[in-house]
Amino acid sequence: MESVTEKFFFRRFLYHINGKQIFIINLLILSILFCSSIAISYGSFGIPVIGLILGKTSEIQNIVFFEIRIPRVILSCIVGASLGISGASLQGLFRNPLADPGLIGVSAGAALGATTVIVIGSTFFPNLVLSNFLLPMAAIIGASAVIFMLYLLTKGFGYQGVTYMLLVGIAVNAIAGVAIGILTYISSDEELRSLTFWTMGSFGGVTWPLLIPAIVIILISIACLIPAARQLDLLQLGESEAYRLGIDVQKLKYRVIFASAATVGASVSLSGMIGFVGLIVPHLTRLIGGVNHNFLLPGSALLGASLMIVADLLARTLLQPAEIPVGLITSALGSPFFLWLIFRMNKY
Amino acid sequence: MSIKAESISITLGQRQILDNVSIEIPEGQIIGIVGPNGAGKSTLLNILSGDLESSSGSVFYDGKLLDEISIQQRAFTRSVMAQIQPLVFDFSVKEIIEMGWLLKGATQLMAEFDHAVKEISVACDVDSILERKFNKLSGGEQRRVHFARTLLQLWRPSESVRPRYLLLDEPTANLDLSFEVLLMNILRNRASKNYGILVILHDLNIAAKFCDKTAVLKNGKLLCFGCPKEVLTESLLSEVYGLPIKIDNHSNIITYY
Repeated sequence: MESVTEKFFFRRFLYHINGKQIFIINLLILSILFCSSIAISYGSFGIPVIGLILGKTSEIQNIVFFEIRIPRVILSCIVGASLGISGASLQGLFRNPLADPGLIGVSAGAALGATTVIVIGSTFFPNLVLSNFLLPMAAIIGASAVIFMLYLLTKGFGYQGVTYMLLVGIAVNAIAGVAIGILTYISSDEELRSLTFWTMGSFGGVTWPLLIPAIVIILISIACLIPAARQLDLLQLGESEAYRLGIDVQKLKYRVIFASAATVGASVSLSGMIGFVGLIVPHLTRLIGGVNHNFLLPGSALLGASLMIVADLLARTLLQPAEIPVGLITSALGSPFFLWLIFRMNKY
Repeated sequence: MSIKAESISITLGQRQILDNVSIEIPEGQIIGIVGPNGAGKSTLLNILSGDLESSSGSVFYDGKLLDEISIQQRAFTRSVMAQIQPLVFDFSVKEIIEMGWLLKGATQLMAEFDHAVKEISVACDVDSILERKFNKLSGGEQRRVHFARTLLQLWRPSESVRPRYLLLDEPTANLDLSFEVLLMNILRNRASKNYGILVILHDLNIAAKFCDKTAVLKNGKLLCFGCPKEVLTESLLSEVYGLPIKIDNHSNIITYY
């Protein structure tokens, strides 16, 4: 019996979530389908969904639908999912409710990586810059560098407390801000145009060749994070306790760091910096369904995707025909929530 | 079958925490460790559990060197209850206890799992607070929940032949008298099921009453190790704690002034 049970130990990642949580997950999947169908049909260029199904749309409507609208909705969906799940994983890993890829500087690191490639890369490798992998890779390297720096500065995470990590995040954001500023200053007009969107975030201008590598990277990272759910649960008892329960904590850290960096890097390389989603989404998910990571990780990915599709829909329809950067919308919604979170923490 | 530590020494910074300590935890026995604060009791437990590496000496689990046993395999062999950090997120008591279940996800065992959680919660008297949030509990209740989790970690669907060990660092801290006795009785019951148990205690009466053997540590040195009646003598205890201590041999009650 013993050998049989020990075999199960390695299969313990199978889902174990309660009925209510399964119901919420299903509801979130439905909400993604619902939001995307609305987001696909609304916009500055109306596309009747029924007409599409019946094949009664004009050629220009078809082109807008397949080449602009669909990639854009898919991008907002995967970026939302990626920010949601990386926020949830980082909060679990750091055991810190305020860990958000934006606040602690990971997104800024990714943006710096991408900016560097756009400005400096175009001088040295003019043909490589627009290659579909170089930009995401640079962003991922930037994001990883920041997480490793945080790791070193907080002495292996967690020991220095919530405030310390946020202060480090402010410093990292400032450093990246300065570097991006310098790069902006020395950039040409054409480079400047592509740079502007990093700082505010937008889903505009995405094409299939750019989108597909990012989808692959993000899906692989999500597939890598979700099985770590139970290990992240056990980590909440403290590192030594997780170790005593059979978790290789060091391995878990590297896994979560790399997967989060990859998913945030790939998102930022396509959409720029979109703040507060990684912070709010996991908290909302905990509020509606519970704190265990088996539910929290997929739940945050799904909720993040829905919210981001809606945010992008608002961004491009509120002030038609002009478009508001989606990062402004998420920050406008997210910053009051952040304040509420801080006040709530103060009560304990 | 036992957990065995041979000539353990460890120096942290300039300070020698443990000096040539050898101890054995055989199956079916409760080994108590007593000694003043800073004697090195918790450090010894951390070395036995594999959390800390000693500067010299070795630890064996059932004759196998601890370093050669994987982290997962260790979790199956021994369960540790130590001082615990506060939780950041609002887990329920049930979720915390279930964290001890190493076989999570083995759907074939779900019925066994519910049975095990129920049995252990009732034994530790936490069955009435399973749905409450862990962070809202009192210190004593939190210890009981962690104790239940520690027991669940060693629970098996059938009584297997493999030995299992419990390493407990002051499990009775913050517990009232009745729960202290309840916990020690659970330990006695587990010892009768062939668990090997190491427990750090401050209450000398509890140590004298419940332990099969007692080790006395002071300043990192193992002063003596043996049956409580032989080890816990007036002269030794008075020397260790620097207090006049009297033992009433008829009722085996230790009194300190």
